[in-house]
Amino acid sequence: MLASRRTKGGIFAAATIAVAALVASALPAHAETGVTSSTIKLGITVPLTGAAAPGYNKIPGAMKAYFDYVNANGGVNGRKIQLVVKDDGYSPATTLSVTNDLILKDKVFALVGTLGTANNEATTRLINSKSVPRLFVNTGFSGFADMKKYPTTFPLFPSYATEAKAMGKYLAENFAGKKVALIYQDDDFGLDAIKGFTTAGTSFVAKIPYSAFSQVDPTTAPKWVTALVAAQADTVIMFGVTSATAVLAGAIYKAGLLGKIQMILGSVGSDGTTLKGLLGPLAPALAGTISASFLPSASDATDEYITLFKSINAQYNAGAVFDNNILTGMNTAMMTVQALRAAGTSPTRASLIKAIETKGSTWASASLSPILYSATSHVGYTGYWFGKLGADGNAVSADGPGKYTLYSTDSGNGPVVKAAATRPAMPAKGLPTN
Amino acid sequence: MKHKSPLQRLALSFVLGALLLFASGHIDELRAYQGAQAAIFAIAIASIVLLTGYSGQISLGHGALMAIGGYASVIAQLHWHLPYPLAFIVGTAIGALAGFILGITAARLRGPYLAGTTLALAVGLPSLANQFKILGGEQGITVDVGTAPTWIGKEFSQYRWFFWVAVTVALAVFWLLRNLLSTRYGRRWRAVRSNPTAAALSGIDVGRAKVLAFTLSSAVAGLAGSLFAMLLGLVAPLVFTLTLSFTLVTGAVLAGVSNLGGSIVGAVVLVAIPELSGSIASRLGGSEKVTSNLPGVITGVLLILTVLFAPNGPKLPHRKR
Amino acid sequence: MAIFFNTILIGLSSGAIYSLMSLALVLVWRSTRVVNFAVAGQAILSTYLGYEAMNRLHNYWLSLPVAVIAGALISALVEALVMRPLAKRTKGTPVEAIAPVIATLGVLGLIRSLAGMIWGNTFLQYTSPLSSKGFTIGHTTIPFSPQNAAIVIGSVVVLTIFAAIFKFTRLGLSLRAASFQPEISRLSGVRVDRVRTIGWAFAGAAGAVAGALVTPTMFLSPNSLDLLLVTGFVAAVIGGLESLIGAVVGGLVLGLGFAFILQYIGSSIIFSAAFLILIAVLLIRPQGFFGARSSREA
Repeated sequence: MLASRRTKGGIFAAATIAVAALVASALPAHAETGVTSSTIKLGITVPLTGAAAPGYNKIPGAMKAYFDYVNANGGVNGRKIQLVVKDDGYSPATTLSVTNDLILKDKVFALVGTLGTANNEATTRLINSKSVPRLFVNTGFSGFADMKKYPTTFPLFPSYATEAKAMGKYLAENFAGKKVALIYQDDDFGLDAIKGFTTAGTSFVAKIPYSAFSQVDPTTAPKWVTALVAAQADTVIMFGVTSATAVLAGAIYKAGLLGKIQMILGSVGSDGTTLKGLLGPLAPALAGTISASFLPSASDATDEYITLFKSINAQYNAGAVFDNNILTGMNTAMMTVQALRAAGTSPTRASLIKAIETKGSTWASASLSPILYSATSHVGYTGYWFGKLGADGNAVSADGPGKYTLYSTDSGNGPVVKAAATRPAMPAKGLPTN
Repeated sequence: MKHKSPLQRLALSFVLGALLLFASGHIDELRAYQGAQAAIFAIAIASIVLLTGYSGQISLGHGALMAIGGYASVIAQLHWHLPYPLAFIVGTAIGALAGFILGITAARLRGPYLAGTTLALAVGLPSLANQFKILGGEQGITVDVGTAPTWIGKEFSQYRWFFWVAVTVALAVFWLLRNLLSTRYGRRWRAVRSNPTAAALSGIDVGRAKVLAFTLSSAVAGLAGSLFAMLLGLVAPLVFTLTLSFTLVTGAVLAGVSNLGGSIVGAVVLVAIPELSGSIASRLGGSEKVTSNLPGVITGVLLILTVLFAPNGPKLPHRKR
Repeated sequence: MAIFFNTILIGLSSGAIYSLMSLALVLVWRSTRVVNFAVAGQAILSTYLGYEAMNRLHNYWLSLPVAVIAGALISALVEALVMRPLAKRTKGTPVEAIAPVIATLGVLGLIRSLAGMIWGNTFLQYTSPLSSKGFTIGHTTIPFSPQNAAIVIGSVVVLTIFAAIFKFTRLGLSLRAASFQPEISRLSGVRVDRVRTIGWAFAGAAGAVAGALVTPTMFLSPNSLDLLLVTGFVAAVIGGLESLIGAVVGGLVLGLGFAFILQYIGSSIIFSAAFLILIAVLLIRPQGFFGARSSREA
């Protein structure tokens, strides 16, 4: 057959193109934002300064410490994790400004542990429009689990409605016949809780709402005590932030009612170390207080996660005092590392989200509650245990060290299941192998 | 001093607007957002220039007036389904109403007493959001105005669209105010500010002038609040704190409080200072305690130095106080 | 009944707290006609220094004079380094009234950030030997503790000392003259600049007393006196900025007002309550309870 030059040229061209195509397909795909061959960049916004800062400003340092530990042990699929921390002073306008910086200037791969309900609301439009994953937001607002409104957002902590339902069952079992009063913050935080209590069928002798921040005025807490006494309450549930819990405890103590009114604290306001700090000489006011948590007690010496985190804290976090904030931060960081690992060797934002949805429920975490992530649910933890605050401000399980009874449920009408908490074993040396 | 006619000023505004529109196509999204933020601050600062620089009334509560406009415009969009340009007008109108009421109450108050009242307003007002379900509570109400309408023909990213909207509104507001302030109203207000007794003696109804100033100032602040709600996509009590009110007054002083044109400089400085402090702080480094508080130190020092050395704002040529 | 009586006690103890801060603000106003927002900043810094003294000396009563002297010095420095040059530069300009407000805000922010840098943005405890637990009468514990008593005594002492200085001493006369008619005072031989600095030093001392007495009932952090600054200012305005007694009265009115509103209406309007009480007073007396009605330009 006569192979004309043109035909030969055509075949040669086709071959070249075919080889080029083969070579091209073997090259790594265009790298995702925030990911290089050696690093993954994450971002977080928290109040580092300002009135809301104390306590929360320890979280980024704790997360960084855990990330440093993982980086020192091979990183994630060979990449080191960098955490860019921005101070938002708890102001949503600032949160949006600094998140603009994180996403548009620092070009982070994903946001983790961003704190505050209104603060996260302010950045929702931005992260939705750019499909930026927002992992393990630091707020109990149940709304963030709505996958339609927040497709790339994953809450981690149980919602307040869940907590209230769990508490309702705990009350029914242990405080039947008592006169229980409720003090709650009069916004969606508190109303979420009321919804839960209503579902649980709890009845209160008094319901005392208070406006966010009104607890800083010296007249507020004494007035609560007056109302409690008027209703003859012997038990009070406090669904508020730590500073509100502190003034309540102080006011009960100052009124000489310690021991006569049992306090039960919601998880948001129950960090013992912060409470002790707030109360100072009034710290005895916390004696016998019951609190709800989903993480183990920061003083539980038998817990392998606590032991691990304490040692990481000592080595990588420059002398910070180990408390619930550090525990929370490291736990979130551990979940983040597992999410990044599961996102694959060429992680993309989409693969990260998919990884959490498909595999998140199997990961290791310090929490005593199971994780519920799935393709149809962005709900993380679902359960609480109840313990008494000890002298060091940390809650102790009534079942003894290392044994926790978990009350788990949903935000809706599902039943509350009570069971001994079980938890997958921690990976060796706390380094995930998922 | 060069007196421009309203028509000349209009032409100038158009030229400026066209330049900015051209520029907006060439700046990145982050700067577009910051530019929009600066434009909105400029409008809010202008409202204080009107109130304090011209009619001599001090307000430490303009953050609350922005809140009123912001919440009104968001509710108008969500509950009455108004398109956002109309919602902005609602925000302006409700702001004016609030200012009218406040102005009447405040007309008899002098200096620090007025300052105290507006301060108490700034602290008290945002907490009302927890009182009424429609106001959304602590986590606020979100709203998304989307991006440019299709009939414009050009494609805008959301932040670029915000920039264009904010700048256009700012130009319009400045044009209106500049014209207003060069009429007899402006002269009356200046008279009231420098010497109320003499002003009254020369036939000016001091009370009425003050209330008018308050009403207009609050209207402008309400408009700024509506734009701010658009920019953030959110209104919430934490957005409109006392700190915001202080920031606005600071911007007005940086502008040279009776200098309308300086409002733009003041606004740009307000947006730039946190950026500047933040980058200096991260460059200097240090322990976490130091780096997180360094921006605050730098901002405080800058503010004190600026007020000390340029208390009357940027020295613009041919400008009589 | 018991609730009514309790509410009064609650109102009095918080009212005394507001009075201390409001006294500091009125002291500054009476000496230099400036609203000094930095009072909270100076109070916080002096309280931190008192805290340091407390940790080293282990004696609360000894830490108090440390705080007071620190407060006076810091305040005097601010006046000399910032406010005096500012007053000279803004004399006769439109910013004359408002520039000092901005300057003091700048100082407040600066001091708060410095405190955060040195002591951290965390909660510290300034311990006092006085109990914060209420006195017991018979079987009931009333909402009034030894620390509250100290706060009340502190307000009375500060009020008495400074009222006496203003009324009976030459210094007091010079202070009042220098603030109203600086030119004429200068001509009469009053060292206006020095006298104004002394006035600010007094205010700093009063603010330090406020911080050192109040902080043991709560916690110490760079922002812990922020709210007190606002309530103190509102109290000062209610009382009429011209009068020290007015400052105390204003504080008590606000404290009692809050307590009663909280008890009988509800906590949701507590922040609006300040505005409502203030407006109610100013509508009747636009110059506050004890303010002068004259045409003295504020």
